[in-house]
Amino acid sequence: MTVEFTRRSALGLSGAAAALAGLGLPAWAQARDAITIAFPNDVPTWDPNARVLQGAQSFYKCVFDSPLTQAPDLSPLPNLAKAWRYRDTASLELEIELRGDATFHDGSKVTAEDFRFTFDERPKAPVAAGGRKLDTGFIWRKVKAVTVESPTRAVMQFTEVMPSAVTWLYFMASFVVPKAYIEKVGVDGFAAKPIGSGPYRLAEYQQGARVVLEAFDRHWAGAPKLKRVTIEIVQDPSARVAAIEAGRADLAVDLPIRETQRLGGRPGLVGRIDPIADILIIEVNHVGAFEREEVRLAAHHAIDKRAISKAFYAGKAIPIDVPAAHGTPGYPKEFHVAYDPAQAKALLAKAGVSAGAPAQITFFTTKGVFPNDFEVAQAIAAMWKKVGIVADLQVMELPKYQELLRAGKLPEATMYQWGNTTGDPEMYGGYLLDPKSIFSSYKSPDLGERVAPLLVESDPARRAEGYRELHRYAVEKGYSIPLFQGIKTVAYQKALAYKPYANGWILPQDYALKG
Amino acid sequence: MTDTALGIVGRRLLAAVPILIVVSALVFVVLRLIPADPLGMSLPPNATEADVETMRHEMGLDRPIPEQYVIWLGHIARGDLGISSHFRQRVTGLIAAALPTTLELVASGLILGILLGLTGGLLMFEGRGRVTEQVTDIGSLVVMSIPEFLWAIFLILALGVGLRLLPFIGRLDADMTVPPVTGFLLVDSLVDGQLNAFASVAAHLLLPALALGLALAPLIMRVLRSSLIDTYVEDYITLARLRGLSERRILLRHALKNAALPTASLIGVQAGFMFGGTLLVEVIYTFPGIGNLMVEAVRNHDLPLIQGIALVYCVIVLVINTVVDLAYLALNPKLRRQ
Repeated sequence: MTVEFTRRSALGLSGAAAALAGLGLPAWAQARDAITIAFPNDVPTWDPNARVLQGAQSFYKCVFDSPLTQAPDLSPLPNLAKAWRYRDTASLELEIELRGDATFHDGSKVTAEDFRFTFDERPKAPVAAGGRKLDTGFIWRKVKAVTVESPTRAVMQFTEVMPSAVTWLYFMASFVVPKAYIEKVGVDGFAAKPIGSGPYRLAEYQQGARVVLEAFDRHWAGAPKLKRVTIEIVQDPSARVAAIEAGRADLAVDLPIRETQRLGGRPGLVGRIDPIADILIIEVNHVGAFEREEVRLAAHHAIDKRAISKAFYAGKAIPIDVPAAHGTPGYPKEFHVAYDPAQAKALLAKAGVSAGAPAQITFFTTKGVFPNDFEVAQAIAAMWKKVGIVADLQVMELPKYQELLRAGKLPEATMYQWGNTTGDPEMYGGYLLDPKSIFSSYKSPDLGERVAPLLVESDPARRAEGYRELHRYAVEKGYSIPLFQGIKTVAYQKALAYKPYANGWILPQDYALKG
Repeated sequence: MTDTALGIVGRRLLAAVPILIVVSALVFVVLRLIPADPLGMSLPPNATEADVETMRHEMGLDRPIPEQYVIWLGHIARGDLGISSHFRQRVTGLIAAALPTTLELVASGLILGILLGLTGGLLMFEGRGRVTEQVTDIGSLVVMSIPEFLWAIFLILALGVGLRLLPFIGRLDADMTVPPVTGFLLVDSLVDGQLNAFASVAAHLLLPALALGLALAPLIMRVLRSSLIDTYVEDYITLARLRGLSERRILLRHALKNAALPTASLIGVQAGFMFGGTLLVEVIYTFPGIGNLMVEAVRNHDLPLIQGIALVYCVIVLVINTVVDLAYLALNPKLRRQ
């Protein structure tokens, strides 16, 4: 049996190749008011009040509106709410004045009744057997009631002071949902065909694969310039790189550092590595060698953060001295922890640690959760070894981390990324350092004494000052070893006018195509 | 024939019950013994210990493991696999939505794998004793030694990025929409009369199906070649030659039919493995199938979803085994007589 390669078969093959090439149009072949984004994750559900997941916020912000929002520099901005103020000196009544021109995608008006439904009725609704409580039920537990005073005015009444209430109105899960529509179609019907008041309506959704958004022409802020946005959920970072490189995406998000740099050097593409408000820290537990304050402080002084940033993040990961991002209210300006191996050795000597008897610790790290995490942990372990701290580096999965954290069984050191899109200090130290928080690793009464008053401090200036002191105190005592601010990597076609946000949001409503 | 086939299906159904119970118990217990907290990643940052307990109670995790298992089994008997802790949706709905994608992908992978394997096997056999055999032999060894996920990446780099010949993200072009009817996009696009969408779906299927098929093809090639060599020493081949039949006719009409039996068994076994291979291939190609769903479930330690998908995998393997038995029965007259 032989295959004869004739001119006819050659023509046939080239025809087939041409047909194949015509199948599967690249991103640039779309209309010029449409883009494709290669994004690493999907929404867990289209009910925006159900889950707090940072990676889902950009999606929700396309389809839904929160009462407030943030500018690219993180400062709060009016959104559905055009004004807000505490009515009383005790900060127990928060008045929200909604704009009158916002409508849901079905044409119905957004009213104070929808606001009450979202922040009072839904969070308190009884959970059906086998069902799950909405995350807004946990977040807004201090809401006693929301009263409606007019179609555009609602008042949130709190059982006790909630200084972060205004922040939560632009943080996770706080999106206003349509009461009438949910009552008509039910919660499952709403999650299957969601409508919000955001700049895009959901045109198509394939779970785990694709989100297609179409511009909502009647959005109160005006219709977005990009009329159709297709978000392909591409979990694999190499595939996201391939997508932008092959022209099958106009924007690819969360790429490996080196690939972002490489793509940025290619004609027609832009690669960006931007610092964001998330922070990378070493969570400390006072066990083993880290029971000694000197050892914890030595561990901090032994880390050359600038060298690590240069080696693994192209120098774009900004070193931090407290567990907060630079420029946020909880970041003290006049505080610095020096990289000083000599001081680290001196501190260790004070703790009885010597070259012959090094401090032995266990060091947990994630691998692949954020760019170069394992490599950074390896570098830190090597730096520690130079001063006399021998770290047993172990990779752990996030569910295991949660289990050990909950049981108070974390080892001496754990490298972890903490997300905070708001920059609010409570979302940093308020949760990370409060011994009562389920997310704090270092459970210490002296921290509790300092955090507790801040969680009910309603004066913004005193609150910010208190958090700056708290963050500084925690680092001075070695309760936390902050490393860097997080980074956001993107690559996009030069024709796209991309707008970066300091919290990493990807918001196509702010983008346009040039030319 | 019908009685024998019914007997096979009946025996398989009877055996399936204890197998499913054992597998479900294993998965259930192992997941609960792993030191991992399924709640931690599903709570807001201002949650308290009391909130943790509330959630634990809602999910029934505060009960003894045997009691949890019995409750879960009771729900399964009613067709309820529980609610996903990550997606906050019914597990049955999530799996039902994802399964057609995986079935379509595996079917395409099987078809490609079988086509390549049969062609390669015949080439190898025909070229025995010549350079062709050595080349195809080495080629099959090389293909076999590369796992599916590496093929997936190679194919993207070569045909997707390098030649820009084929798409490699998702199941359909960005500017196309196919209304879901069956979940099988090849079918749905035809039902909707969209031929361009059908072509797009087929093009999107090619690379992931090829990545899966390349794991199967060399095995088929090698088994088919060996079976054919064994078959060609049988008397009926000599008799066929004496009857003056052409070599092509002997191969395709007589030898291949008999040599196909071991190949069919192999395809059955490998089809089960192919479902395992979809885990990474679906992630790489952004296919929203149960492999992708399983990866997401494991990442979020979503116990109800992991358990549900594990059960579905088990059922799929049992079904495949039954189908292979039936295929064997159809191909082998001796079995039918027994």
